[in-house]
Amino acid sequence: MLKTLVTNPNKCTGCRLCELACSYRHFRLMNPAKSRIHVVRLAHEPVDTPIYCIQCGLCINACPFNAISRDLKTGAIKVDPNKCTGCGVCIHVCPYGAASIDPDSGKALICDLCDGDPECVRICPENALLYLDADKAAWYKRITFSRLQRKELTALMPDER
Amino acid sequence: MGDEKLYGYAGKILRINLSKGKIVKEDTRIELLKLYLGGTGYAARILWDELEKGIDPLSPQNKLIASTGPLTGTLTPSSGSVEFCFKSPLTGIFGQARAGGRFGPKLKFAGYDFLVVEGAAEKPVYINIYNDDVEIRNASHIWGKTVHETCKILLEEVGDLDASIACIGPGGERLIRFASIMVDYDRAAGRCGGGAVMGSKKLKAIVVNGDRSIEAARPDEFYEAAKEALEVVGRKRMDLGRLGTIGGLTRLNESGALSAKNFQTCYYEYAENLSGEELARKYLIKRRACFSCPIGCGRYVAVPSGPYATPPHEGAEYETTDMLGVQPLLRELEPVIRAGYLCNTYGIDTISAGNVIAFAIEAFERGLISEEDTGGLKLRWGDPEACLKLLEMIIERRKIGDLLAEGVRRAAEKIGRGAEDFACHGKGLEIPAHDTRGTSKNLAIQYAIGNPRGACHIEPLWSPLWDFSRAELGLRELGLPWPPPESRFVEVGVRRGEACRILWLFGELASILGVCRFALQGEENSIMTPRRLSALVSALTGWDLDPKDLLLIADRVYTLKRCFNVREGISRRDDRLPKRMMEPLASGPTKGQRVENLDAMLDEVYEALGWDKETGKPKKEKLRELGLEDVAEVIWR
Repeated sequence: MLKTLVTNPNKCTGCRLCELACSYRHFRLMNPAKSRIHVVRLAHEPVDTPIYCIQCGLCINACPFNAISRDLKTGAIKVDPNKCTGCGVCIHVCPYGAASIDPDSGKALICDLCDGDPECVRICPENALLYLDADKAAWYKRITFSRLQRKELTALMPDER
Repeated sequence: MGDEKLYGYAGKILRINLSKGKIVKEDTRIELLKLYLGGTGYAARILWDELEKGIDPLSPQNKLIASTGPLTGTLTPSSGSVEFCFKSPLTGIFGQARAGGRFGPKLKFAGYDFLVVEGAAEKPVYINIYNDDVEIRNASHIWGKTVHETCKILLEEVGDLDASIACIGPGGERLIRFASIMVDYDRAAGRCGGGAVMGSKKLKAIVVNGDRSIEAARPDEFYEAAKEALEVVGRKRMDLGRLGTIGGLTRLNESGALSAKNFQTCYYEYAENLSGEELARKYLIKRRACFSCPIGCGRYVAVPSGPYATPPHEGAEYETTDMLGVQPLLRELEPVIRAGYLCNTYGIDTISAGNVIAFAIEAFERGLISEEDTGGLKLRWGDPEACLKLLEMIIERRKIGDLLAEGVRRAAEKIGRGAEDFACHGKGLEIPAHDTRGTSKNLAIQYAIGNPRGACHIEPLWSPLWDFSRAELGLRELGLPWPPPESRFVEVGVRRGEACRILWLFGELASILGVCRFALQGEENSIMTPRRLSALVSALTGWDLDPKDLLLIADRVYTLKRCFNVREGISRRDDRLPKRMMEPLASGPTKGQRVENLDAMLDEVYEALGWDKETGKPKKEKLRELGLEDVAEVIWR
């Protein structure tokens, strides 16, 4: 079965090691701006969340240069750097803000699941990132979306004083 | 020399003169890096070279350096450091203060190892940095705002929600001598009054972001070393991560090492009420980590309602809880959380604030200050309302608060009539939440020597690791005397000098390399030992530095900082403990403990450090060994 990258955002402490591991795996460089996973910290809210590509594929059809395809082995999005012009359409259509542009090459950065062995999952000290069989991973997605509706974290916040 | 490619470093220094409005980018000097590596080492050399002796720390002549080390911003665990260096307005000697968060890493990603701020602006300004784009901007609209307000406004104003901010609150603007520099809302470079230095320069904030890379010389080797270090340091998640630094509070109490009641005792019967468990049960929203940290000791907490309602923030760590809770004998966490939050958002150091509050309560009790001084406020032990009101008075510099805002040394001098006897500071730095008598004799020596920044428990290192916790830290092979004495209270003849020296030099590496000290403190299988640091630094920079090389560099830095202080007039006479530390503890398991033979202990340490026993200056031959001949010429002139 295909595997899926999911997150358990309640466990994320916002250390951003996943970003460094991502840029290191792909470029042998340490640079969050070259990462395909992005940790959002809102310091004044209880938010530390890894934003990652859910491999929905909206960008595939949107790309005007046919630079984006799906790897059938891993189910991951692949960007062909020879075709990518850095036009930004994939970023534009990505509903999650998961896609970005490499500041050095000017090409799109989209998660390729590290060919089925995501480095971010390996390095996460909190097990906030998981790479699971798709049917197991679906439960985490359901939990995430049900939490969105419960808003339980924001209820803890008192008024600003 | 100029052609050598730098690995691990950003390679540039950003120098901003606020008097002239001038922005200069210079190369980080390789020949200096090889001697000092970076962080507070390189910064100490800049301050030694560029500051005139005897300048007023609050004048434009002072410089403020935000420094990073080679490991900062890398895959090394807990490398989210920024170390601010300056001449301290609180102590008049070398000032340094570290913050976690991600300011340090962001500075490197913007392309700079160091930011040096010189001069002073006429009107409030902030500095905005994104890679090569550096601007000095008007900050009139945020002058007077709290730290939390400032962060919120500036992130929106620069339009980059991922930028990092170092700023001051009203505390720094009002030149409170223990004002902190706050990073990313709640991470504090708290000690030594760096916030007042920023305030004197009319510098409200520094905003930084960038998209540059850090590259390792030997990438695969570096990654292996980093992953091993992450796994090892990550083991601290089970204790330090689970309950935060406050988790140790009750354990310290059981050992008779929990400082209370302005250091009259080391035992508090209501410690359980202020424990890490209590915090986790009632007020913890989530754990938070600094950049690249697998420990995650940060506590994101709030008090949702009631008289002490407090918005969510990172706070209630151990030092804050002891100094603002145990010291004044408060019996519940809520006012302590509230007080810590006020310190953060108004930008003052929680340790110094707690120290001066406890001092004031005792002074009031002894009739040395009166209701006239306090504006009618009755100061009593265990009174949360009074503590919070007094804290507000300090923040606003109102009545007695104006005097306390000068720090405990100046306040005691002004009050006189014996107030100095219970003003607990070392070289003007308020003693933190650890008492020399209840903890260990290593700490007594460390507070007395106070190099570089005055009495501090963790700079350069929590040295009771040896005689209190009996941890080896991978230092035995480098000469750490073993075993430590059976009792932590034995004073002389147990090789404390050698032990302290090596522990301090090891700790110095944290601020030089740009990592959190917690990643260096603990059992050997849970820390970055000298060997692990050596593997990381060597693979990162490509310079092969074995543990001995690292300690030699640390020695050079540690000694240079002492020389900076010697140049400012520090000598053996100043290597003292406050009178209180020579008196017996009043209660608890360590009742009766006191420091008896400080001079003999100091002799042992001077000997080990290569310092002259009469003057306390590093000896000429010691300085020559370290390649500091030019420094020797100045201090032995």
